[in-house]
Order: sequence, then C-alpha cells, then structure tokens
Amino acid sequence: MAELRNVIIVTIGGVRHAIELRWVREVVSLGFVTVVPTAPAALGGVCNLHGAILPVLDVGALLGGAAGSPPRQGDGALVVEVDGLVCALRVDQVDHVASLYEAGGEVRDAAGRPLVLLDPTRLVRRALELVAAVAEHAT
Amino acid sequence: MTDGEFDFDPEELAMLRQLFRSEAHEALEAVTSRVLASGSVGPSAEALTEMMRATHTLKGAAGTVGLPAMVDLSHRLESVFAAFGRDPALWTVGTADVLVEVVDAMRSYLDVMDEPGADQAADELRKTIDQIARQDRRTGTLSVPLLEPADARAPTEPPTESPTDAGAPAEASDAGLLPEPTAWLRIEPERVDEVMSSAGELLFDRTRIERRVQSLRTLARDLARTRQALHDAIADDAAMPAPLRTAVMDAEGELAAQAAQLSQTTAALLDEIEALRRTIGELQRGLTRIRMESARSLMMHAARTLRALRRATGVQVELRTFGEATEFDKAVAEQLHDPITQLLRNAVAHGIEPAEDRVAHGKPGVATVTIRARQDGNSLVLEVGDDGRGVDTAALARRLVTTGRWTEARARVADDADVLDALLDTGLSTRGEADELAGRGVGIGLVRQTVAKLGGEVKVASVKGKGTTFTLRLPLSAALAQATLFKVDGQVYAVSTVHVAGTTQVDGHATTATVGDDVLPVVRLEQLLGHGAATDRRPALVLSFAGKSLVCTVDKILGPREIVVRPLGPLLAPLTLYAGATISGSGKIQLILDPAQLVRRAYPDAMMALIDPASAPMVLAGRALVVDDSRAIREAMTSMLGSEGWIVDVAEDGARALHMARQQRYDLVVTDLEMPELGGFDLIARLRRDPRLKATSIVVITSRASAEHRRRARDLGVRALVAKPITRRKLLEALAAR
Repeated sequence: MAELRNVIIVTIGGVRHAIELRWVREVVSLGFVTVVPTAPAALGGVCNLHGAILPVLDVGALLGGAAGSPPRQGDGALVVEVDGLVCALRVDQVDHVASLYEAGGEVRDAAGRPLVLLDPTRLVRRALELVAAVAEHAT
Repeated sequence: MTDGEFDFDPEELAMLRQLFRSEAHEALEAVTSRVLASGSVGPSAEALTEMMRATHTLKGAAGTVGLPAMVDLSHRLESVFAAFGRDPALWTVGTADVLVEVVDAMRSYLDVMDEPGADQAADELRKTIDQIARQDRRTGTLSVPLLEPADARAPTEPPTESPTDAGAPAEASDAGLLPEPTAWLRIEPERVDEVMSSAGELLFDRTRIERRVQSLRTLARDLARTRQALHDAIADDAAMPAPLRTAVMDAEGELAAQAAQLSQTTAALLDEIEALRRTIGELQRGLTRIRMESARSLMMHAARTLRALRRATGVQVELRTFGEATEFDKAVAEQLHDPITQLLRNAVAHGIEPAEDRVAHGKPGVATVTIRARQDGNSLVLEVGDDGRGVDTAALARRLVTTGRWTEARARVADDADVLDALLDTGLSTRGEADELAGRGVGIGLVRQTVAKLGGEVKVASVKGKGTTFTLRLPLSAALAQATLFKVDGQVYAVSTVHVAGTTQVDGHATTATVGDDVLPVVRLEQLLGHGAATDRRPALVLSFAGKSLVCTVDKILGPREIVVRPLGPLLAPLTLYAGATISGSGKIQLILDPAQLVRRAYPDAMMALIDPASAPMVLAGRALVVDDSRAIREAMTSMLGSEGWIVDVAEDGARALHMARQQRYDLVVTDLEMPELGGFDLIARLRRDPRLKATSIVVITSRASAEHRRRARDLGVRALVAKPITRRKLLEALAAR
C-alpha cells in the first residue's frame, strides 16, 4: 500500500536522500560553526541559529558510516525538530521538494531512482546515544 | 563641609551615598515624567505639588549624606516649581524641554559628583535653573551644561522657541508615563547577580550529587547480586559443616537486609534530589522576577531621546508607546538604551520625510514613531517603527553593489528581505552622504551586535512610502556572568572568572607548574580541546575549584568579559566538560568550561576526594564561631554555616571572641580582620598561642585580600582567606581547602 509523502530531496555525501517535510523547520546556510571537542564525530559542531544553540549533526556518522568533512560556515543544513529537540542535519545540496509515494520504506523520485528515506527520530535518538556513550567514557 | 564631619565611616558613607544616588535618580525620573506630561500647557496644581515634594525630599536626603551642592540644586529647582505655582503664565512652550534637560543634567551630576570639574558643572547648572522661571527669559535662550560623554546623547542645541516648536503636538503618550506609586526595596544589582549565580551553581551541584547517587544505586544492585551468589553457593555446597552453614546463612540474611536498606535509602535520596530540583527551579524563577523591570524606563528614555532629536533637527515627530507594563530583565533593559537611541536617530535622520512631502502623500504632517513592547513566550519583543518613507530596497541594493559589498549576481537574486537584512549587517543607508545624526549608518549595525550579545535577534520590515519597523526579539532574562575568555586551537572558550586565581607561563612538556609556593598539575587544553600538546612555552590560567588548583595551558588569554550564559540543550548536556555556552558579539558560539571537570582531570586519583568524607580535607560540621563587627555579615555567615549543619556562635569583636573561645571549644573560627578592640590577626595569634586552641581551623574573611595579608595569614596557620563579599560557594571552598 503506497502512501504519498511530502519530502525534501537532498544530497548528503554524494547520495540522494529524502526527508519528510513535517520534520523540517527551516533550510539554512550555517553560520560560524564552533567545534565541540570531546563530542562524537556525529556531532560536527554548534552554530548560532536566531540566538539559540544549534547542534549540527553528520548524517553519515549517525547511520554508522564515516563522518563527512567538518561542517563549515556557509554549508547547507536542514533544521529539524524532534520531540522539542532542534538540530541541524548538514547537507551538500538541497535539490527540491516533492510529493512521492512510499512503498515498503522505499521512496523513488520522479525518474524512478530510489532515495534513502531518512527518519529524523532515529537520527536524533542515535545522536543522543553517541553523546551519552562519549560522556560515559569520560567519567 | 567635608566627609570628616560625618558620623559615618567612609565605607558606610559611600554606601549611604550610593543609596541616595539611586533614590535621587528615581525622584528626578518622577519629576521628568511629570514635566513631560505637562507638555506645553503647564503642570496641574497637583503635579506641581508632587514635583515640589520630590525636590524637597531630595534636598533633605542630600543634606543627610553631606552633599551641599545637591542640596542647593534641589532647593533651587523647588523654588522654580514654587514660582510656577504662583504664576502659571511663567510656563511657556519651551519650559518642559528645558526642565527635562535640567533634570537630566542633575542626574548626570549625581554620577560625576565625585569627579574633578563637578563643582563647576554644578555652578552652571545652578545659573540655568535660576533662569527658568524668570519673566525676561521668555524670549531668551538657555544652555544646559552637558555632563555626559558627548556621544552618549543625541546632539542638543539651546532651546529656540521657534514657531514650529509652538506648533509641536502635545505628546499624548508621554502623559501615560507616570511614576508607579509603589514602595521599593533597593537592592544593588550585583547582589542579586551573586545569588543568581549561586542558584545556577546549585544546579551543577545537584547534577553532581545525582550522578553519585546513581552510582550508589548501581552499587546496591551489585550488592544484592553478590548476596544472591552467596546464597546459591551455600545451597549448592552440601559438604559445608552445619555450624558454618548456619553462621554464613545468618550473615547472608543480614547482608540481604542491609542491601535492601541501602536500596531504599538510595531511592529516597533520588526523591529528595527531585524535590531539590524543583526548589532550585522555583528559586531561579523567583530571582529572575526580582531582576525584572517594566519597559517603562526604556520608554522614558525613548521619549527623552526623541524630544532632544526633535529640537535638534526640527523634524516634527511624536512618540507613541504601547506595552509599558511589559516586564523584562534589568540587565537586558539597560543594554537596550543605546540600540533604542540609534533606532530613533535612524528614524529621524532617514525614515521620516519632510512635512511637506508627507502632506503631499496624504500623510499627517507630524510623523509618528511607535514603540511597542510585549512578551512572547520566553522572549521580549520590542518594535520600533516609523511611518516615514520606508526603505527603497532597489536603491539600497544598487548601493550594496556600488560599494562593493554585493556582486551584481547577488543583487539580482536577492529579494527585499535579503536587502533589508543587509541593512542590519552593514548599516548602509540609502542616502549618499554621511549624516551627522545617525552617523554613516554604522549605528544600525551596532544594534544587531548589541542584541546578538544579549542572545537576541533583530529583523527589519519596510514598506515603501509607509514606514520601517525594526523588531528586536530578546530573551526575557539574561544570566550575566563574569568570565575569562581564552583561545585554544583557534577557538574562543570561557571559564567563570570566580575560579580564575591568576595567570602564568608554562614550558613545553611540563606536567607541573610552580605557582607561588605550590606545585600544581598542568592540564594541557591544546591537547584536550585541540590537536595535541604544544611544545612551546605558553600562557596558562591558574584555576581553583573546591580548594584544588591547577594550571591550564592555552594559546592566548583574551581577558575578562561579561557574558550571557546559555544552556547547551539536551543533546550536548551530557558533555560535562562544558558548563554552558555564550554567544559572542559577532554571533559565534563560545563554549564555557566547567572547572570541576578540569580539576577531575588534573587530580584523577583524588576524583572521589571531594565527595568521600574519609579522604576529603573538608571540615565537617561542628561548632563554629563567627567574628565580625558587621551585623549583616554575622547574620549572613550564620545562615550559610547553619545550613551546612554547623552550630554557630557570633562575636562582634576580637576580644569577645577570645573570651568565648576560652569558654567553649570551637572546631572553626571564621573571622574578619578589621575590628574594634582586638583585630583579626591579633585574635588569631592569641588563639594560636593557647595550646587548647592551636588545632582550631581558622578562616579569614576580609575585604583586604592582598598578597601581604595572604602571607601573614598563612604564617599564622590560617586555613583559608576569603575575599569579601562572601558567597556560600567561596566559603565552602575555603572549608574544603587543605
């Protein structure tokens, strides 16, 4: 049973991903990124978003792969909100917004190419786990 | 009259004068709002009475604290109001403006009265006041001496009573700015800040305790498991002799009971911590409310600024204010004065078109500047808008290109919002020439910087031909803290200045550093926070926390700053190395290091020492004697020590303390140095000479924490020397010191 999803299509680490629009608060170009030493690689740094502290996450590292290059000022990012926790997912490129059918956890773009459908809830949970693991190690 | 003729010692007198100053500012502020409300019509009989009462009270108070010049000025001002009472016709169209300036000048005088040149300023002010209510002044001009730094206020000119002034609109909204008739409790902001920061630290303390209790809980579980293993072992061991089996089973039973008790106690402790968390929350909310003030004083500031601008430029503009009752942090409010001044200058210089243009476009000839304050969730929103010409975004975009700030391509894709945003960044004006009033537009850029520093943001909206509105969104409260900033591996970090004991230099590879008589461990921050240990000789901060000191190497020490501490949020909170973050003036995030964590890294073996009573050097509660000639300090210390479980006696001088110490054994003596009869050092020397009192722990509290005092204290075997003002944390650290 295919369901229609409103997604934003982005490129991360050369791979095209789709993420449902309902999670996305904003598409931003990052301001100055402050590195947080001792943090896991999945947490690339923090950034000032409208006067709030915005953690910038690396999707590759969160999915168990290698972290991309460290986020820098001017990089593109999706600001997502999960359970009141606001963070940014760094992206190489924002392609476009589309309404696509999801079937069995898979989404295909208009040309029929498969896209990785990101689940921000899982990504944020993973980020929390990784940070907690580092903190545990330090104590 | 000199200070020497007073009953007060210099310290007390200074305090009383400080009290007078704030009282006087309030009284004069009240006079200003009455004057503003009187406009060109003149004050009501009731308003006059109020103003006379205010100046009269001021006169009396100034006399008490020995400020004859202020007595004289208040007296003269009172006479001026009396003259208006006798002859209301003396109040002319320009009177209100002159009075506002005179009162402002008196307030400035309050701030500079101890400085050279103040007498002369008072003289000039006196002459001006005498002129105000004189018949022959109706056609003349007056000049009010300027006491503030010239750039701190809008340019002013002597009042000219031109026909345009006579036609100026009465400011309806000014009349609303009446003083609130409430009794006030005067508290120095620093004191509240201190309590606030203690409350903040309480939160860190709670987290640490919670972590300990959690490990206690794990321990209880392990214990239960061990008991089970023991139980199983006995059951399995058929060969065990019966008497031994009975003995082991008894022991196992006891162990079970004890393990259960441990787990219950731990659970109860967690409940207590939860209660503590709630109480800390309430405490912080309560303190935040203490620091709140209404937007009223900011609106007053705006009204004054606009009045001065109107007179300086001849631009006809009136102010409307909304949401005066909106409350926000005093620290935030104070920082907003300059941005508001800047925005008003900008409105008058750039926003408002000439009256004839306005009329030609069907607008009223008199322009309106509107300031609205409102609360929106945890933010304060302040809007400053004019009904002027609006920003010509196309022209501004062209200027961005011609001045090289933007490329043609950038300008082509930019929408109006982008262009307006660029206005905030660069403060570029659409006017070609520099403008004396609003500067070269630099001011608007400063607005964004100031607001960013406070943790807020600025937006601008503009409709061509209709006007421009700047929206400032700010946090409702700002936890300002003193921090020392330093650089490591290209990034700026901060650490609370309270914990910075000094600076030094450390050689490459050194693992310890000698500071004074102490050899301290070195924590290499370039290794912890950067790419690896440096080998060169580098600057270092000496940090001290809970009686333990360490040296932290850095790339560069940037010095002290006042910062707004912001929480890191749920994702970063587990990284305990950081106590929070702050946002720099340019909007960069700077991490704040938690000194407790650095101490743990420097003293890995003594990690538990701060908590574990067996190895901790902490003096545990017992009977304490507090010696100080100030009742306030005795009270404060009694409360601080009392809450730590100490039984506290007090003495008001050394002689009395010595007498008491011989009657009763004390585990701890906390003493001031300067006291009547027998001073602190003499008291300590005598206590040390008495064999029974030799072992007593002594802590010195003093406002004279010089190196010489510290050396002398050390020679006398004083446990710690604490600089006044005393905070609970400082005291506890002193007690924990070796």
